Amino acid sequence: MHKSDLSYQLERFGLVIVWLAFIALFGAMRPDTFLTWSNFSTIFGSEAVLVIVTLGLVIPLTAGDFDLSIAQILTLVSMTVAILDARMDLPLALALPIGLAIGALVGLINGAITLYFRVHSLIVTLGVGTFLHGITLWIGNSQTISGVSPMLMEWVIIQRVLGVPIAFYYAIGLAVAIWYMLSYTAFGQQLLFTGRGREVGRLTGVAVDRVRLTAFVLSGTLGAFAGILYTGTTGSANPSSGTFLLLPAFAAAFLGATCIKPGRFNPWGSVIAVYFLVTGINGLSVLGFRTFVQDLFYGGALVLAVMISQVVSGRKDRGL
Amino acid sequence: MKQTFTRLGLVSGLMMATALPVLAQDDPVAAAQANIDAYSGIPEFTAPGEPFDARACMEGKSILTVPASSAIPFVKTIADHKDALAESLGFEHAQWENQGNPTQWIQGIEYAGNNGFDLVSLLAGADPRFFEPQVKAAQEKGVKVVTSHLTGLELDAPAGVDANTAIDYKQAGKLMADWTIAQTGAKTNALIIVSNEALSTDSLTDGLTEAFAKCPDCAYEIVNVPIVDWATRIQPTVQGKLQANPDINYVIPIYDSMSTFVTPAIAISGKRDSVKVATFNGTPFVLDLIREGTVEMDIGENLDWIAHAMLDAEMRLLCGMEPIVDSKVPLRVFSADNIDEVGNPAEASKGYGDAYVPGYRALWMLDE
Repeated sequence: MHKSDLSYQLERFGLVIVWLAFIALFGAMRPDTFLTWSNFSTIFGSEAVLVIVTLGLVIPLTAGDFDLSIAQILTLVSMTVAILDARMDLPLALALPIGLAIGALVGLINGAITLYFRVHSLIVTLGVGTFLHGITLWIGNSQTISGVSPMLMEWVIIQRVLGVPIAFYYAIGLAVAIWYMLSYTAFGQQLLFTGRGREVGRLTGVAVDRVRLTAFVLSGTLGAFAGILYTGTTGSANPSSGTFLLLPAFAAAFLGATCIKPGRFNPWGSVIAVYFLVTGINGLSVLGFRTFVQDLFYGGALVLAVMISQVVSGRKDRGL
Repeated sequence: MKQTFTRLGLVSGLMMATALPVLAQDDPVAAAQANIDAYSGIPEFTAPGEPFDARACMEGKSILTVPASSAIPFVKTIADHKDALAESLGFEHAQWENQGNPTQWIQGIEYAGNNGFDLVSLLAGADPRFFEPQVKAAQEKGVKVVTSHLTGLELDAPAGVDANTAIDYKQAGKLMADWTIAQTGAKTNALIIVSNEALSTDSLTDGLTEAFAKCPDCAYEIVNVPIVDWATRIQPTVQGKLQANPDINYVIPIYDSMSTFVTPAIAISGKRDSVKVATFNGTPFVLDLIREGTVEMDIGENLDWIAHAMLDAEMRLLCGMEPIVDSKVPLRVFSADNIDEVGNPAEASKGYGDAYVPGYRALWMLDE
C-alpha cells in the first residue's frame, strides 16, 4: 500500500540519508583522516559486540518482551570463558560451547519464569541480570582476568578481510540470518504475530509461549556470543564493562525501528543505527571535540531521529 | 708538576661534576632516563616519622575503614591487610563493606559515630566532598575523620577532614612522561586519557605536563573520559584520535584499568607496532599485559606497604602525634626488564621487596 509513497520511502531510508550526510559533513571537514579506508575499517570493526547485543534484543522485542539481562549474560560469559581459558587452561574448543550453553540456559530461565509465573519480562530479566552480575563478581573475584589465548583475539580483531576486523563479518552474518528468519520463516512470522497481539496470535494457532521462550533462548545465546567476542576484543574479561552496553543497545534497537521497516524492530535498521551512532562519535573524536559532545550527539540523535520519523510518517500511532 | 696535575685533575673533576647535572637538565632523554632508573629497582624503606609504641598507645582504640568500594580488589586488599595488621597490634579495626555508593559511605560514617569508633579512614577514593555535613557531624561526636590514599601530596585535606595521607601521584605522572621521553628519544607524541572527577588526577596530570614541558619536541593531548564511561567511550575515543593524528606514538591511560579498552583500540586501528602504552597503578592483570607485550610500562605500588603506611598515619593521629601527609609509599616502574619479579600471573604485593616489614616493626617498636 505504501510502496510507491515517497514519504514512506523517505521514512524507510531517512536514517541512511542522515548517516550519509554526516559522513559527507565529517569528510568535508577532515577529508585527510575521516575519509580514509583505515578510519572506516576502525568504525566497522570496533562495534561488532554492540551490533550483536542489539540484534539479540531485536528478537524478544519483536515478540513483545524485554531482555534486560543480555548485558549481564555477555559479562558472565566473557568472564567464564576467560577463567576457563586463562586460569583453568581449558581449550577454547570446550570453553566457547560452554559459554554459549550458559547463555542459552539463562535465556531458558528468563523465559520459564516469565511464562510460568506470568511476570513481566522487564522485571524478570532485570532481576536475573542483577543476579548474574553477582555471579560474575563472585567467580572473577571482582578482578579483570587477562591472559586469554591469543587465538581468540586472532579470530576476533586481528584477522582482517578487506582491512576490516573479522568480528564485523560475524555481526553482519548474524544480521543476515535474523533478517532471513524474521522475513522468510514460519517462526519469524509467529514471532511477529506474538509481538503484535498475543491473544490474536493464540487464536490463530500460534504457540505463543513456545515462541516467546525460543526468543529468550536466542537472545541469551546471542548475548553469550557477544560475550565471547568481547573477550576476544579486549583479550581479557572485566566484571562490569559489558553492563554499559545495555542502554546503547536499546537506543540502537529503537532507533533501528525507525528505518528500513519503520515501526518494526528489524536487524538492518539496528545495524544501520549502531553504525550511524558510531560514525557520529568517531567523527566528533576525529574533529577533536571533547567527550561530553558525544553524549549530546548520542542522546540528541536518538530523540531527533524518532521525532523526524514520526513527522515524515504523518504522526501516526505506532505502538512501540 | 705532580701537584699541578693533581690540581688540574681536581678542577676538571669538579667542572665535570657540576656540568653533568646541567647536561642532564639540557638533555631531556638523560634526565628522563635518570628518573626512570631511580624508580626501577627494589624500593627502600623510608620512615614517615619518629618511632612510637603502637601497641601501647592504641590499646582500647578503634578504627573503621570505609573503602571506596569493597568490589574493587585494589581497595579491598588494602582494607583486608589493615584488618590483619590491627589484629596483630591488638586493637579493633573494622571495614564498612560497600559497593562504591556514596550513600553507603554516609551510612558507614554514621555507624562509626553511633558505635564509639575513634577514627574513620576514608580509603582510596571514598571522597568526603560528597558528604561534608556527615563528616562534620562525626567530628562533633569526637570521631576523627581522615582520607587515606586519596590525593597527591600538593592537595590540602578535602572537606574539612582531620588529616589527609597522600601518595606522590605527581611523581607517578612524571615517570609516565619520562618513560615515553626516554623511549622515543624526546620525540613523544602522546594521547593522555584522564578522569577529572578523581582527586588523584590533578596531581598525575601536573606531573605529566611538568615533565613534558622539559621536552621541547614532545607533544601531547589530554582527553577526559569520566569513570562511568570507560567501557563505552575510551575505545572509540582512542581510535578516533589515532586516526586524526597518525603521529601519536604513546597512549597514556593514567589509571591502568583503562588499558582494557585502550589496547583493543590500538589493535583495531592496526597500530600495535607504532603505538605503545605507559600507565600507572600496578594492577595485576595489567602487569600480565606487560608480559604479553600489549602494555609497555606500568608504575605500581605495593598494596601491603600502603596498608602499613595508612595504618601508621592513622595510629599516629590517634596517639596525639603530628599528622602524616607524605606516606612515603614508594613507586616502582615495571617493564619487560623486571616483570618476572611480580609472579606469573602477577600478584598484588609481589615485586617490591619486603624492606617495609622490618621497617614498620621497628617504627612501631614491636621488637622491643
